[in-house]
Amino acid sequence: MSATTSPIRTSTHASVRSSAGARSRRGLLYLTLVLLLLAFLAPLVWALSGSFKPRGDIFAYPPKLLPDPFTLHNYRALIEDQPFAQWFVMSTVVAVVATVVSVFVCALAGYGFAKFRFAGKRLLFGVMFSSLSIPFAVILVPLFVILVKTGLGSPWFALIVPWVAPAFGIFMMQQYIVQSVPDSVLEAARIDGASEFGIFRRIVLPLLRPSLGALAVWTFLQSYNSFLWPLVLVSDSSQYTLPLGLQTLFVSEQRQYDLVMAGAVLAVLPAVALFVLLRKQLLEGLSTGAVKG
Amino acid sequence: MTTAIAGPAGSTRERAHANRTAPRLKQSRAPYLFIAPFYVLYVLFMLVPVLVSLWLSLTEWVGLGTPHWVGLRNYRLLATDVSFHRALGNTGVFVMIAVFVVVPLALLIAQALNTRGLRVRDLWRTAYFVPIVVSPIIVALIFGLIFDRQFGLLNSVLRALFGTGGVDWLGDPDLAKVSIGLVMLWRWTGYLTVFFLAGLQAVPKELYEAAALDGAGRIRTFTTVTLPALKPVTAFVVVTSFIGAAQIFEEPYLLTGGGPAESTLSVTMFIYRAAFQRQQFGYAAAAAVVLFVLVFGLSQLFNRLFGIGRATS
Repeated sequence: MSATTSPIRTSTHASVRSSAGARSRRGLLYLTLVLLLLAFLAPLVWALSGSFKPRGDIFAYPPKLLPDPFTLHNYRALIEDQPFAQWFVMSTVVAVVATVVSVFVCALAGYGFAKFRFAGKRLLFGVMFSSLSIPFAVILVPLFVILVKTGLGSPWFALIVPWVAPAFGIFMMQQYIVQSVPDSVLEAARIDGASEFGIFRRIVLPLLRPSLGALAVWTFLQSYNSFLWPLVLVSDSSQYTLPLGLQTLFVSEQRQYDLVMAGAVLAVLPAVALFVLLRKQLLEGLSTGAVKG
Repeated sequence: MTTAIAGPAGSTRERAHANRTAPRLKQSRAPYLFIAPFYVLYVLFMLVPVLVSLWLSLTEWVGLGTPHWVGLRNYRLLATDVSFHRALGNTGVFVMIAVFVVVPLALLIAQALNTRGLRVRDLWRTAYFVPIVVSPIIVALIFGLIFDRQFGLLNSVLRALFGTGGVDWLGDPDLAKVSIGLVMLWRWTGYLTVFFLAGLQAVPKELYEAAALDGAGRIRTFTTVTLPALKPVTAFVVVTSFIGAAQIFEEPYLLTGGGPAESTLSVTMFIYRAAFQRQQFGYAAAAAVVLFVLVFGLSQLFNRLFGIGRATS
């Protein structure tokens, strides 16, 4: 799946077809890809550039790509006058806890489904898998009611809840384990008298490291970027998550576009950093399940 | 521990054999313990809420006091609620955009990225994927500014290129839908491309060689080799897009507030509005049940048609 493997490399045809026509076709291909790339990145570049502009310049016509004058005022205002740090801590802590719990739960269940045969497996797997098709909006109202009525509505708990048992993660783990954890190793460990959980912890988990990284990034992003659930759940502004906080800048009386842009940049940084660090695992981990179906 | 696996497990055949004889673990509690944490959480935070939703949908409740049983009244009201019909229709449009515009475009891009000898394939793949990393609310905020009628980037560009600007992207009922579609396109295309590209790279190259030997042209190769080989990926991508688009919320909520004249109101927004702005919890639950039946039913149907999601091992 790496960039070097080209499935349709047939040496004979490659040489036969490298004519002028093929070259111009290639030029067209690169041109299209570059244009698409610009379209994909333009909004983000625009926000980045806007975050360093004074408010009046954000909508200057024609739009300037480079901020001139260049100012850090938006960032300073965001951090000094708004509880940005608070929003950031809230979002990050919630997302980290959700990720740790979720990755562990998914690895356990993925392993259970990948390497054991047991009564009811088909049914249980089907039930798990079908929960992928339950829209969040369906549990939105009852989940809110249940958590609030049982006194578990504290954001520190309730914001984490929706992300701790994602069926997608289990499916991803199961597919990966089937492919990359050899039964022989497990059997050898059993013969040596290792406990089932010991095998999972000392043999399976380390083997899963690359895909655990992928799942971790995925879950982190799901929780960190979530909007609807915090919007419903959190009423106390001191417990706003980043998306909620940023929204208040946007819907306030004077739309604070300058702060929104700076906030968008700061909020996106951890997500992009995580993604860049673990992008290979993420991109490949995501598609393992889908390719095999 | 049992005879079947007593030998030195080494060759593939022996390993396969050991796997097949794993039922010795039938009596073991281990697999159940491994999957138990998931099912505990599943029951508490998924199954119970779905059942509560069903029950709430048969009541009238403002969020305080005791829900008042009204039978199927909420459903009868939904059947004649113009807003709900609009929400269903709009959501249908968004689903169509996702399945018939975003998915094919992702396939085209993946096909382009799969061209042999393409340089820095990883860079392209990564760059196209980035939008999905960005929180939907930030996407909506940025696009809100891009679509601005007077100052927005899009109108600036149009003015510079064609001398006409001032298009009311979010204020015209039809254009507002298009705008939301554009945001969906921007957010989802690169993400889906990753799946298609992985699928394309997993197609055995012998198949392409055989097609070339048979003298098949580009289009024939695509329809007879590529498409059939991509069936599982396509199925997965279509079902995921369908489920994703069917619950769209942030874009209409932040960009248009569901307007103008409810032309971008989605079902999820309808549910949110009923419950948390109008305190009609029972009514919201009924709308949620309708959404559940539609999404769950259709995706189970797709899954069955395409044969995805069966336990493998």
